[in-house]
Amino acid sequence: MEEIVFGIGITALAGALATVAGAAEDTESDIGSQGDPNSQVQLAPQMGYIHRIFNKAVAGEPPAYGLWVALGAGLAWAFMAMQINPILAIVLGSALAVFVQGVYATTAYLGRTASLAKFGQPVYIDILKSMTTVTMAHAFVAIFTTVAMCHLMISALGHPFPLPLLGLVWGIALGAAGSATGNPFYGKERQYQEQKFGAGVPISASGNIVRYAEAGQRNSLDNGFFSAKLGGPASGICFGLIVFFELWRTVVFEPLAAGWGAVIVGVIVILVFAIIDRYIEVWARKTFGPYTAPEEASS
Amino acid sequence: MSVKIEVGAGGIPHNQILIYGLVGSLVLIYLTYLNTITNTQYFAFFGGLAAVVALLWGTDTIKHLCSYGLGTGVPSAGMIALGSGVVGALFGATTGILAPIVAIIVAAIIGAVAGVLANNVVRMDIPVMIVSLTELAIVGAMTVLGLAAMACGTFEFLGMITGTTVILGFAVQTYEASVIGGSIIAVIFMLGAIAIQHSFNACLGPGEKQDRTLMLAAECGFLSMIPVAIISFAFIAFLPALVALLVSVIGWIYTYVQYIALSKRDAYAWLDAKPILEPKGGA
Repeated sequence: MEEIVFGIGITALAGALATVAGAAEDTESDIGSQGDPNSQVQLAPQMGYIHRIFNKAVAGEPPAYGLWVALGAGLAWAFMAMQINPILAIVLGSALAVFVQGVYATTAYLGRTASLAKFGQPVYIDILKSMTTVTMAHAFVAIFTTVAMCHLMISALGHPFPLPLLGLVWGIALGAAGSATGNPFYGKERQYQEQKFGAGVPISASGNIVRYAEAGQRNSLDNGFFSAKLGGPASGICFGLIVFFELWRTVVFEPLAAGWGAVIVGVIVILVFAIIDRYIEVWARKTFGPYTAPEEASS
Repeated sequence: MSVKIEVGAGGIPHNQILIYGLVGSLVLIYLTYLNTITNTQYFAFFGGLAAVVALLWGTDTIKHLCSYGLGTGVPSAGMIALGSGVVGALFGATTGILAPIVAIIVAAIIGAVAGVLANNVVRMDIPVMIVSLTELAIVGAMTVLGLAAMACGTFEFLGMITGTTVILGFAVQTYEASVIGGSIIAVIFMLGAIAIQHSFNACLGPGEKQDRTLMLAAECGFLSMIPVAIISFAFIAFLPALVALLVSVIGWIYTYVQYIALSKRDAYAWLDAKPILEPKGGA
């Protein structure tokens, strides 16, 4: 019994770490317009919309975070193998992984922007100076919490995988959660405020992203501010729930039916969430429905 | 939505880069064998240099493959390259001194099968698909083998599955503390997969220039060497790992500075804290 209570405590702690990781990951990727918002930021200058948005296309978020977290975990593993204290090892590993992330971000922005010279998009060096550091800070939070979570799974819950492999798996999961949950907030609610509500994004509006702010010109830090309010917490809840349910079913139901208990509970959890998702989708379609013209006020 | 990919013309022909890449990475990987001959570990960094040369070649291959309109397919090309490559590299590593050659042959077979499947079963019908995936698989194998050799000082399987750990003051050989047992191979896989796709993914567009893209490929290669050099402190002696770290850092700084200079050359304008330059005639 005591073992299960201890396991639940670790599960809750890992879930909390994952929530922080998800929130930081989505904010980081939105500041850099990584993931699916990237195609419109990349397209904008070609349609004549010169902008001051950071465009760091390293890869999709899942592979990119697969690398950052696996790298942080691998370096932490190596430092622990050199008999360095685990906490210090995880901090050092995450810091070095963030260095690699920052370098990739700068080369991506320079390369993409220099290749758009034909359309008159200049390289704004101040974007690199001010925004790379902000994405690096958010990436550090995301990497550190995920690697710490993986270390907890191994040292406290006895997970059989080595730290770098667990980091790779959870890094890809983190990137996928942030990409699937957080990006729609940024893409539809922030990038396309130029379009009328409910108008969708017709082909003729491609690349017409928001470039000017309430006062002055918008840059990606404003997008980070927005993401930290909506998309980030949503991604955090998503990734936190994934980690929590994954560990919870293992800790509590592993002893049942020689391990099959955890598998069956996993399937049940997926089914329950599928039903909830379907219900919300149908409810949203019925409530908000297809776009209709507002009724004319009768005179 | 997919964005049309345009690539710059001219530059060094692809076949020339292919030959330099294949021969160069093979020779550089074999230079790590000097470790076994001279019974030291100072030559481990040649594995990383082999990966850099292979990545240069792989970048040019990806550019050829993805100029057929594979916008979001650029990162996927990197993944399939390293995915096929890691199988070839690990199979090759079991054959002792023949490892790099066997890795190339096995990876080429896997890549060709993947290419045939992509063209004939998935029906992507891209003319250069089979050749490109074969090349990419070889590049992936050489990258994995090179970086793994850099981490543990040898490209032989026995060296990759045994590490040394200290228990109660005694040095003990274990599987858990090795490159494969500790899953450092997973880190190498991701380092290679992101590095191989990044240069073309970052430089694509109508203003793409071959020298800038290849300089970025070299930069990605040296950047990937830095963490592998740091990890290698856990496997090889202090001084050889320090040599590897110095080589990677110097190579990285040189290529990074060069890449920024080339970006400055190609950019429309290089501005610091200036407002949006609206094009003449308005958007």
